[in-house]
Amino acid sequence: MQIRSWLRGIAMVAGFCAAAAGAQTPGQAAPDFTLTDVLGKSVRLSDFKGKFVVLEWTNPDCPFVRNHYRTGNMQGLQKSARTDDVVWLTINSTNRSNGEYKTPAMMTEWIRTQNALPRSVLIDGESAVARQYAVKTTPQMVVVEPGGKVIYAGAIDDRPSTRPDDPPAAHNYVQAALKEGKSGVAVAKASTTPYGCSLKY
Amino acid sequence: MQRGAIIPVQDTMLVRTHLSMGGTAAGRSLLRIARARSAAALALAAATIAFAAAPHAAAVRTDHVEAELVAAKDGLTPGVPAMLALRLKIEDGWHTYWRNPGDSGLPTTLEWKLPPGFTAGGIEWVPPKALPVGPLVNYGYEGEVLHLVTVTPPADLAPGANATLRARADWLVCKETCIPDGADVELTLPVVAGAAADSKAATALGAARAALPQPLTGWKASARGDGPRVELTLSPAAAASDPGAIRFFPYAEGRVEPSAPQTLVRNAHGDYVLTLPVASQLDGTFDRVAGVAVAANGFGNGGAAKAVEIDVPMAGTVTAGAKPKLDAPSLNTSAPAGAATMSLAAAVLLALVGGLVLNLMPCVLPVLSLKALSLAGSGHTDRRVLRVAGLAFALGVVATFVALAVALVALRAAGEQVGWGFQLQSPAVVASLAMLFFVLALNLSGVFEFATIFPGVAGWSLRNRYADAALSGVLAVVIASPCTAPFMGAALGFALSQTTAATLAVFVALGVGMALPFTLLSWFPGWRRALPRPGAWMERLKQLLAFPLYATVAWLAWVLGAQVDNDAVARLLATLVILAFALWAWRNARRGAAVALRVTALVAVAAALVVAWPLFRGDAMAEAAARSAATRDSGGWLAFAPARVEELTRAGRPVFVDFTAAWCVTCQVNKRLVLNRADVREAFARDKVALMRADWTRRDPAITRALAGLNRNGVPVYVLYRPGREPLLLPEVLQKQTVVDALATL
Repeated sequence: MQIRSWLRGIAMVAGFCAAAAGAQTPGQAAPDFTLTDVLGKSVRLSDFKGKFVVLEWTNPDCPFVRNHYRTGNMQGLQKSARTDDVVWLTINSTNRSNGEYKTPAMMTEWIRTQNALPRSVLIDGESAVARQYAVKTTPQMVVVEPGGKVIYAGAIDDRPSTRPDDPPAAHNYVQAALKEGKSGVAVAKASTTPYGCSLKY
Repeated sequence: MQRGAIIPVQDTMLVRTHLSMGGTAAGRSLLRIARARSAAALALAAATIAFAAAPHAAAVRTDHVEAELVAAKDGLTPGVPAMLALRLKIEDGWHTYWRNPGDSGLPTTLEWKLPPGFTAGGIEWVPPKALPVGPLVNYGYEGEVLHLVTVTPPADLAPGANATLRARADWLVCKETCIPDGADVELTLPVVAGAAADSKAATALGAARAALPQPLTGWKASARGDGPRVELTLSPAAAASDPGAIRFFPYAEGRVEPSAPQTLVRNAHGDYVLTLPVASQLDGTFDRVAGVAVAANGFGNGGAAKAVEIDVPMAGTVTAGAKPKLDAPSLNTSAPAGAATMSLAAAVLLALVGGLVLNLMPCVLPVLSLKALSLAGSGHTDRRVLRVAGLAFALGVVATFVALAVALVALRAAGEQVGWGFQLQSPAVVASLAMLFFVLALNLSGVFEFATIFPGVAGWSLRNRYADAALSGVLAVVIASPCTAPFMGAALGFALSQTTAATLAVFVALGVGMALPFTLLSWFPGWRRALPRPGAWMERLKQLLAFPLYATVAWLAWVLGAQVDNDAVARLLATLVILAFALWAWRNARRGAAVALRVTALVAVAAALVVAWPLFRGDAMAEAAARSAATRDSGGWLAFAPARVEELTRAGRPVFVDFTAAWCVTCQVNKRLVLNRADVREAFARDKVALMRADWTRRDPAITRALAGLNRNGVPVYVLYRPGREPLLLPEVLQKQTVVDALATL
């Protein structure tokens, strides 16, 4: 009997360790990374400590991504990030070996034609940073608070679709997380299921 | 996007809209066009009526999909529900999605535009397939799929006329690229008074209907949350046969991690326990397990349903699962059917026997047999003391095994890709074990006595017999660890792929088995009489038993060489020589120049540590060696790469993968006796089989993941990946004939 309760104790400890280790990114430190932007400059996440950072995983060939750009929704978020001193990093983690991979020059051109306003556009040709964050789709979003902790990870909004009338009408999780984060309250929806095209590993 | 035929109702609306625009010139001209179009539509409708009964529908073709609305009957009966379906014919290589699309994607939707009084139900989804997309997994359909919907016409519908059912279908179709697509589909059916005849599509609809998830009749389902996983227990009906491999598809997103492997075990009660890894992005409240379970051989519940609907409340609690490892294309969706089905009782029994066998292993036998012999000479000691000491030893053994299991389970839950044998994947551990075995062997050879080196120890162990016995148990497991990996890697690996409780049960059984002989000897004094009388021969036996330990050292040195390089082996051997010298110096310090010799011994130990130091930083060394090894092509065997396997099999070439490790003795035996045989190599060449070696001597997440996909967690594993079919697992102990038979299935 004693042995059994002892074993149960061990099992509980193991379960606890597992739970602690398995807990998903919201509330945990955002894994640091260094990537090269489309202009050849090195950008490190931890350099932005002290500011809110938004990570946007993108792929210009993905209709879900395109829907947020053709409606101006993504640009709108990027613009208000700029005015609010929020660092917006757009990351393309499409693997170099994939047909949808875009060179820095192609990404620069695309960002220009979209009138997008990110702080930097980063190329992750080995999909390494996507793996660090277990990114599954494009678009997929992460919000990091000034202390370097993830406060939101998941979908951009609550309407998984490619219809142009959806982004303006949707509840935008990133906007909400930034607002809650800035006013110091806990993010109500800190983790959602991302939607979109699969990330091209 | 293409539109369907122009629809009369919309034309009428068009007319009304433009009439209300008033009398502008533009309005009038639009009105004329509208009138002309409705006239054409009326003519078309008249033609349809003229040709009477034949239902009228047109398939709409888009870039990668052909969509069509079909019905089971050639007519509608007022008030009687009609079975319809949206039929999607999807181009090869492309797929559309189930109600839960998995890691990415979007479910297909249907929006009905029905005549007044008609009602339509939701889509009844046939079970999806798990479709790997790189390392991610989608739930969806390839080829042709029927999305079933029940449409009920009003009871007061007048027979004789035609009714046109229209819907807007939207879907996402993906290959590498995704295309949001859709079509307006419609179907015109005559309204008949009695039952209508079966249509051409009736058979296909019937088949789709039969494939729908059935209620789980006869069987019982229950679910329990256990941290980062959920155990779904399916208790078979009395007459049920083996369902084979089972996969669960959850209705909701953000509950179960789509790309993480689900494992199936049969427990002692005969229940099938499917372990579902919880989603890393846990979304919403997870307190029910709702979805579809698909069994390879069906659930044998009368109708032998392949798919059943599960919707049960969940006991316990869950936490978000580990981040999925997205390193390599997943081969895990096609785990061989039934490969993981092994009853827990059988696994525990095997572990018990395995533990007993451990006593005979070259690394354990010398130490434990001497310990057993020491009992023979202790006839006069208090029987109770001996018994408790025996139990303490058993406790030490079991606790150490449990600690190892817990460490391993925790590491794996933290997302580390480790399996059994992990203790030998680190050069530092291999080097430490080699040193430990060498010192033990020197002791048996009589170079020194532990009591002379650590005078306090002998006295302490006499005063604390139980603690001493428990510590002996711990030591026994530590010295057994290099032997559990080579001889029992696969079995323990299997245990690790199960639930926490099952893993612990297997490890406890292993410990009990290992401790059993010694504990029984200490418990039954009568048995001890069978042991030979102590005498001078014991000293000789002790010296003789040193040699298996030296052999273990030699083997560990070879493992280190395979893991790192020749320099590492040289370092290890130099360390051993200095250690031997230090022990010799200390032992002789009693006679003559005591202080000088003791100082020499301490300096020598320090020197040994300095020489050995790089070995303890060996993980970096191993990585350096791994880089050079990865590009090495050894005797026609390519280095394992999951992407390459997929590429080759897709191109129609079978691939044989040898999952191996230097520290795995069974692997080496199989390699020498079977895989390297000339006739076996010829057989491979004849069938143009690509040969790959996955070397797990060092930790390698890609290999660990591939193993997990095969429901294995240790080596050896031999797999034949066959183009267009599920991979074939070969037994761990290979024979020429098994390889030849496997190739014959190609």
